[in-house]
Amino acid sequence: MAASISGLLKPWTPRVFLVRWSRYNPYYLEPEVRKEAYIKPEAELSAEEKEQRELKSLRPIKAATNDVTSSVFNDPVISKFVGMMMLDGNKILANEIIAKTLENIKRKQVDKYHKAPEGTKEEIECNPYAIFHQALENCKPVVGLASIQKGGKFYQVPIPLSDDRRRHLAMKWIITECRESKHRRTLMYEKLSQELLAAFVREGNVIKKKLAMHKMAEANRAYAHYRWA
Amino acid sequence: MSSFLFQIMALQRLSFRLRQTATHVRSLHTSGCGQQQAAEAVESEPEPLSVFRTRENDPACHSEQHMGQYYTLPSTDIRTLFPHGLPGRYQQQLKTFNEACMMVRKPSLEVISYLKKTDFSKPSLRYLFYGLNGTGKTMSLCHSVHYCYTQGWLVLHVPDAHIWMKNCKELMPSSYNDTRFDQPLQASDWLRNFRITNEPFLSKIKTKQRYVWTKRESTEEGSLLGQLVDQGISRVKSSSDVVGAVLKELRLQSGQPESDFRMAVAVDGVNGLWGRSTIKKKDKSPVESDELTLVYNLKKLLTKDWTGGAIITTLSQTGSLYTSRFDYLPQELLGERGFDSMDPFLPVSVPNYSEKEFESCYLYWMDRQWLQHPQSRTEEGKKEIIFLCNRNPSMMDRICASL
Repeated sequence: MAASISGLLKPWTPRVFLVRWSRYNPYYLEPEVRKEAYIKPEAELSAEEKEQRELKSLRPIKAATNDVTSSVFNDPVISKFVGMMMLDGNKILANEIIAKTLENIKRKQVDKYHKAPEGTKEEIECNPYAIFHQALENCKPVVGLASIQKGGKFYQVPIPLSDDRRRHLAMKWIITECRESKHRRTLMYEKLSQELLAAFVREGNVIKKKLAMHKMAEANRAYAHYRWA
Repeated sequence: MSSFLFQIMALQRLSFRLRQTATHVRSLHTSGCGQQQAAEAVESEPEPLSVFRTRENDPACHSEQHMGQYYTLPSTDIRTLFPHGLPGRYQQQLKTFNEACMMVRKPSLEVISYLKKTDFSKPSLRYLFYGLNGTGKTMSLCHSVHYCYTQGWLVLHVPDAHIWMKNCKELMPSSYNDTRFDQPLQASDWLRNFRITNEPFLSKIKTKQRYVWTKRESTEEGSLLGQLVDQGISRVKSSSDVVGAVLKELRLQSGQPESDFRMAVAVDGVNGLWGRSTIKKKDKSPVESDELTLVYNLKKLLTKDWTGGAIITTLSQTGSLYTSRFDYLPQELLGERGFDSMDPFLPVSVPNYSEKEFESCYLYWMDRQWLQHPQSRTEEGKKEIIFLCNRNPSMMDRICASL
C-alpha cells in the first residue's frame, strides 16, 4: 500500500505514518553508512544500483541515528543488543558492559588457547564476536507460542516466528537470565560472558528455556489449527 | 647498510663454529655483551626470532637496535621482583598470554645507560619519568628496576605513593612521635613485599643501632635486617616505625665502603608525597603529608644525602588527588614544595608510541591471538585503531581489548 501511495507523497506532505516511534514520511530513504558502497566507480555499477543512486540524488534521506557508524567495527546485531540492555537511556554504560563482556570472553578463550596442547589449539574459538553470534543463533527458538482465545478459553498455540521476533526473544531471554539469576556480587559482564560461553556449547539456562518453549509447542500441536480460528 | 651486510657475510665465512658457540653463550647470559656482538650479528641474519621479539632477555645488554622489540621476563623474576609493582591490566595480560613480555623503549634505555655509568661515591642521582596519561611511565620504571635487580642491587620499590595518602582504614597515632600518624596495614603490606624481593640481602645486612619497640621487645645492635622486617610483619602495630628503621639503616649503610650492596629506590607516583591527602583526623581536619610516618621517612630517603645507588621515580596523574586531569609536567604535579625538594633531578619524557613501536605492539598482539575481530587485521582496521587511540599505549590496550 505504501508503494502505491509513495508516488503521491511529497516531503512536505503532513502525513505522519507512525511505525514504532519513527515519524518520518515513507518518502524518505534510509541512509547508507558503509564506506564500501561509495568506493565503487561508475563503471562497475549494475543497472539497479545506478537507479538507486539516481533516486538518492533526488529524494530526501533520513538522518542517521547515533548508534550507526561508518567504522569497520560496526555491528548492527551488537548495537541492537546494546539498545536492549540499556536502562534509563544510559547507552554509555550499556556499551561499556558489552565491551567488558567481549574482552572477558576473549581473555578466557585466549587463556585456554595458550595453555592447550598443540593438537587442540585449532578447535578453540577465540573470536568473541563469532562466539556471540553463534550463541545467539543457538538461543533462537524455531517456533513460538501465541495466546489465542477460542470458546471462552485461551489456548497456547504454536506459531511460526519471523526472524526479527526470534532474534528479539533470544536477546531478551539472555538479558533477563543474566539480570535475575546471578549472585548478588557478580557483575553483569561476568555473568553475561558465562552465559554466552555456555550458550556457545549449547548448555546453560537460556538454552533450557528455548527447549522448554519447543516442548510446549510440540505438546500443543493439536491446537495448531486454532491459528486460523 | 651495505658495509654492515658485508661484515655479516665476512663473519659467516670466517667461523661457522663461532655461530654454534655463540648460541651457547647467549643462553648462559655470561659476562658483558662483548660476546653478544657475534651473536647479535648472527641474529640479524635472515632468520630472526621475529620483527617484534628479541632473544636478548638481559636488560643490561639492551641497546638501540632492540628498540621497539619485546623481550621476555622470566617468571621467577616476576614473582620475586614484582609482587606489587606492575600495572593491573599488565598483570591480567601476563596471566592470559602465559608469558611476560615488555617492550624496550627509549626512556628506559636512557635511564639504564645512566645507571651503568653511575659513580657510586657521589650522591645518588634522581631520575623522573614524566608524560601524558597512559604513555608507559610505570612500565619504564619496571624495566629500569628489572635492570637493577639483574645487576644484584637492592630494590626498594614503592608501587604507588598515592595509596599511602588516601583510603586509610586504620590511622593510629604514632608511638614514637606524638604529632605523627601511623598506617599499620599499608606498612605491613609493604614490608611483606620488600621481604619477597630482597631475600638474599636480609641475611647479610646488620643493623647499626638498637631499636626498642615496647617494654619487652627490642632489636639489638648488630642483628640481621631480616629480623627487623619479621618484627614489623608480626607486630603490625609497630610496622610503620619498623619501615622507618629499615629505611634509615639502608640509607646510612648504603654508601659505606664496607657494605657491598647498591640500592635502587623506585617510587611510582612520587607527586603524591607532596600533595594533599584525603585522610582526616578525628576532628575532621585533613592530615598533612609530613604528619604520616611512612611519608616522612620516605622523603628522607629521597634527598641527596646518601651515596651508592640511584633514585628512579615516576609522576602519576591518574591516582593523584586534587590535580587537574590535564596536568602532566613535573612543575604542575609536584607543586612548589615537591619541585624544590626534588630539584635537581633528571627528567625523562615518556612519549606515545612511535610508528615502529605501534607496529611492534600490533604484531605482538596478532601473534598472541589477541586481535580477533576479522576487520582489525586489515589495513582499514589498523588505520582506524591508530585514529581512535592516537598511539597512546593505554588507550590502544583498552580499544583492542574488545576487538
